[in-house]
Amino acid sequence: MIVVENLVKAFGRHREVHAVDGVAFTAPDRAITGLLGPNGAGKTTLLRMLSTLMIPDSGSARIEGHDVVNERFAVRRRIGVLSDARGLYPRLTARENIRYYGALQGLAAAALEARIDELVNALGIADIADRRTQGFSQGERMKVAIARALVHDPQTILLDEPTNGLDIMSTRALRTLLRDLRASGKCLLFSSHVMQEVTALCDSIVILGHGRIVATGTAAELVAQSGESVLEDAFVRLLGSGEGLAA
Amino acid sequence: MIAPTESAPARVAVVAKKEIVDIFRDRRTMLVTLVTAIVAGPVLMLLVLNLIARQSDKVRELVLPVVGIERAPALKAFLERQQLSLTPAPENFEAGIRSGELDVVLEVDAAFAEDVAQGKPGTVRLAYDRSRDRARAAIAEVEALLRAFNREWGRGRLILRGIAPEVANPLNVESRDLATPQSSGALVLFLIAFYGLFAAVMGGMAAALDTTAGERERMSLEPLLTTPVGPFELATGKWLAVSLLNATAVLLTLTGFYLTLRFAPLPAVGIPFLFGLAELGRFVVALVPLILLMPAILLYVGCRGRTFKEAQSNLSVLLFAISLLPIVQMFLQRKDPAWLTWIPVSGQYSLLSRALRGEALPWFELLQSYMVPALLTVVALSAVGRLFSRESVLAGK
Repeated sequence: MIVVENLVKAFGRHREVHAVDGVAFTAPDRAITGLLGPNGAGKTTLLRMLSTLMIPDSGSARIEGHDVVNERFAVRRRIGVLSDARGLYPRLTARENIRYYGALQGLAAAALEARIDELVNALGIADIADRRTQGFSQGERMKVAIARALVHDPQTILLDEPTNGLDIMSTRALRTLLRDLRASGKCLLFSSHVMQEVTALCDSIVILGHGRIVATGTAAELVAQSGESVLEDAFVRLLGSGEGLAA
Repeated sequence: MIAPTESAPARVAVVAKKEIVDIFRDRRTMLVTLVTAIVAGPVLMLLVLNLIARQSDKVRELVLPVVGIERAPALKAFLERQQLSLTPAPENFEAGIRSGELDVVLEVDAAFAEDVAQGKPGTVRLAYDRSRDRARAAIAEVEALLRAFNREWGRGRLILRGIAPEVANPLNVESRDLATPQSSGALVLFLIAFYGLFAAVMGGMAAALDTTAGERERMSLEPLLTTPVGPFELATGKWLAVSLLNATAVLLTLTGFYLTLRFAPLPAVGIPFLFGLAELGRFVVALVPLILLMPAILLYVGCRGRTFKEAQSNLSVLLFAISLLPIVQMFLQRKDPAWLTWIPVSGQYSLLSRALRGEALPWFELLQSYMVPALLTVVALSAVGRLFSRESVLAGK
């Protein structure tokens, strides 16, 4: 479970760019929570604070009860992060890339190898698992990056624009995987600027605009809240403009 | 790549092992390292040795092209007595001198015999190009022989007239050449010390940049920082891996020198130093601080670069300054001041030169030369760790 309370993060010499400006929400277990917002709404900054890469200016966030600032290493053992940056090591094989993260998470040899095999089979990358990742397609890279993020079987999974650059087949495979993870009781937080993506997957949606939460709720609640009949119009109405919101 | 337990040293080991596999699989880095280490140094040294050998051979078996030597039979006999072999010069010998085929040509004036018969000085001409280093020894040799012939001839004339030759030579110049074969070997000595340093400074460069700036450029640093590995653990692991590569490069370079000097058919130029296994060992001992310091510095510079290219251009300034130090030191010629031992690179260079002269390394100075690099290594490593924990490190290309 993720509990976010009044998170604030500003950039710039005089802290004049308010990337995240007083965001509060809760993402429960056994659910996929969607962070929806146009480019520059603060989604990546928010996820970076949750994944302990950035320290908030004020406010707090707790993941499974651990504070992301004061207990950052406890948090890192409990989260799996598929960030916007998902670079692999091109001279290592897919399996070695995954093994590196597993070893850093402190998994012991036998358990780690068993877990890697499990992930490789679940993601359907057995045929490329022992090839160097140089020259992998976008979809193959994404699968390896996901396996790497899930190698320690984290309870909380943060995904920043996971479908960016993926074709339809890979996107569908990813959706299936995320639903399976939800079914096994995980807490998933999923950011996207693609509306269909979020509505297809998420149990509840947090809409971000200019670093603030504009609305929260299920797709149906958001439509009702905005007084529009179509979801897309609801988003535009809630955000105040259609600018930057990709369909 | 497997951590038996969950601890900081275990994570450092995981990072180091992964980086070592990564580095040694990088063909380009390995090729560059190997070529500069074991090929370039020894080949350069062979060239220099051959150059020295040829210069000293030239003086010994000087072949002097001559024009009209038959007009001066006494000179011809004198030169031949001095072990010079005289050959007729080609017609266009001036072109030959300009192109470097001929070092020096002696021409006897057409009116030589006539002038001498009339009691006038006979004229001989020397043609040469003094701007060519390789010709200098030959020019000097021929000039000296001509002066000697002039003296001998003059003495003979004075004696014929009943005058003691000393009357015309009130000044007796005795010169002693204190140059030993050592001086001709000085360049080789410098070359080995310089190349040893060079390997220690450059050996880890490509790998250090790849593992820092390259990691940022490939966007693999951000996900790595969401794992339980701490920034200082990450810095230490990477440093260990790059240091290992650096040590390998130094060992290969020195082994290359050792094998070259031991087995290659070297010209006999009287190399004024030994480079045996003992010297190789002393070199390694003297270079340890640099082997460990340079990777830390390279990692720091690499971390500051968002891309490989950016880091590379930052680095070239640093490397230029470092490689200038021993060159400046060589041209200083004076005895090294004592404080120089404290300075990284300079201290190592003076220790290396001493090792080449066959001296054992003094413990105290060795310790001195370790201090500053050790301190700087710690400083650079913690700076790398701090950079890894900064939010700005996430900014990609």
